[in-house]
Amino acid sequence: MSVIDILFRLDDISKKYEKYDVEKQRSVNGSSDDAFARLYSSFESQIEATLMKSEVAAVETNRATMVAMNAEVRRTKARLMDEVPKLQKLAQKKVKGLTKEELEARVDLVLTLPERIQAISDGSSKQTQGWGASSSHKKITFDSDGKFDDDFFQHSEEATQFKQEFEMRKMKQDEGLDVISDGLDILKNLAKDMNEELDRQVPLMDEMDTKVDKASSDLRRNNVRLKETLHNVRSSQNFCIDITLMCIFLGIVTYLYKILS
Amino acid sequence: MANSDPDKLIAKADKLTKLSLTRWNADWRNATGLYEQAAIAYRLAKKYEKAKEAFEMASKGQEMLSSPWDAAKHMESAAALAKEVGNWNQVSDLYRRSSELYIECGRSQPASDALAKGARALEDASPDEAIRLYNDACTALEDDGKEQMAFDLYRSATSLYIKLEKYTDAATLLLRWALAADKCSAAHSQCKAYLSAIIVYLYAHDFQQAEKCHNDCCQVDAFANSDQNRAATRLLSAYTDGDVEEIKRAAQSSTISNLDHVIIKLARKLPTGDVTALKRDTSDLQEDPLDEDDLT
Repeated sequence: MSVIDILFRLDDISKKYEKYDVEKQRSVNGSSDDAFARLYSSFESQIEATLMKSEVAAVETNRATMVAMNAEVRRTKARLMDEVPKLQKLAQKKVKGLTKEELEARVDLVLTLPERIQAISDGSSKQTQGWGASSSHKKITFDSDGKFDDDFFQHSEEATQFKQEFEMRKMKQDEGLDVISDGLDILKNLAKDMNEELDRQVPLMDEMDTKVDKASSDLRRNNVRLKETLHNVRSSQNFCIDITLMCIFLGIVTYLYKILS
Repeated sequence: MANSDPDKLIAKADKLTKLSLTRWNADWRNATGLYEQAAIAYRLAKKYEKAKEAFEMASKGQEMLSSPWDAAKHMESAAALAKEVGNWNQVSDLYRRSSELYIECGRSQPASDALAKGARALEDASPDEAIRLYNDACTALEDDGKEQMAFDLYRSATSLYIKLEKYTDAATLLLRWALAADKCSAAHSQCKAYLSAIIVYLYAHDFQQAEKCHNDCCQVDAFANSDQNRAATRLLSAYTDGDVEEIKRAAQSSTISNLDHVIIKLARKLPTGDVTALKRDTSDLQEDPLDEDDLT
């Protein structure tokens, strides 16, 4: 297995189990009395879910499902935006056992939330206008909502990521093609050798063919002659003649014997 | 009938064939039969020397009965027994005699087979004689237009030459093989033979010869357009660059791995000797024209 394969597999596996890991953390967090932590974790999970949904919608080929998914994404986004102020209020509250730095960190987290929510692509507009190298989204529409700058940066990040993935995949494909070409080389050489071997065998087979034909015709001829000879020797007609002559001979012998005695 | 002592059979047969006052014509027919029986009995009893002599007499008898085919067969059995005994001179003589008899029958394939068997038997004991036998075997087939069958003989002869480290002879034989392949239009074998010859020259560290050989071979259309030519060019350019890694990589390529295993072993051991010396030679040639430019 090449290095690239191992890397991909590791990514997939860690992503799969990351889910469990984070959930455990969240459940631990959720068991505490900290309302903010609970609400924040629920926010995070919803954002994750919508992100996944939007990704699926982006590659969906069936237009109807795509539109439905995008509408759902938009609905969740709107709901989350409404709940952000509530989270902000909770963040300001002082909770037992929480340091000042953590409090400030929480405030910052809440501030970044609206940006993240808006960043979730819901399939409408602003997808490919940036002149980065992004080419993964299929819908290219030109109505801009003035939120140009964020999207522009967003896409260059996505674009570089996509380009990296593209290069990796191309390298993997090149490796695969090299393996195939080596195999084909071996096959070609084997085939050429087999070709020459068969060419060598053809005149031998022809010779064998004529010899076997000659042998079989000889056999047939001999069989016929044998049958004729047998017929002459053992034919029933000759047999009867032999017996009658034998009887006549015996009769003559007994007659002579009777006369002499 | 054959249960009687083989010595007695031999004695009886000799009596039949010896001419004396009472016998004016040798009775070869019966004598040959007796000799054959005696020979088989001796072989079973593992008395190889006596069996060999009996087979020789039987073969002579068959010759007298003007059936060279049986004579040749007996001669071959005698030769095989001579190999058991270890009498190498006789082995080669007997096999040669049997191949002559086969050619008398007009059958070149068994003749060459007999010579090849002799060569194989003598590979360890007297390799020079073995090589002579291989050469004669190839000639016998080529005279009869059956070059296709000679390929295996060429292969065995080449491996024998390489075992004896006679590399120029091996390369010459490979070129002869290529010629035979050309006659029966076996292009793949021809190209493989050319590539093997180039590799043998490189292994003997005779770069000029290798280049000359390569130039000669490129004259042939079949080789010029083949994979083997590309592999040869790659190998030779790696030599002129003096790049040991590139030489090793070129030698690992699949085209070379498709050749005869003896040649592959040689290729894996390349480069022999100092490759940088070759590199210096080519760069010296380039310096002179530059000097002339400077003067003008």
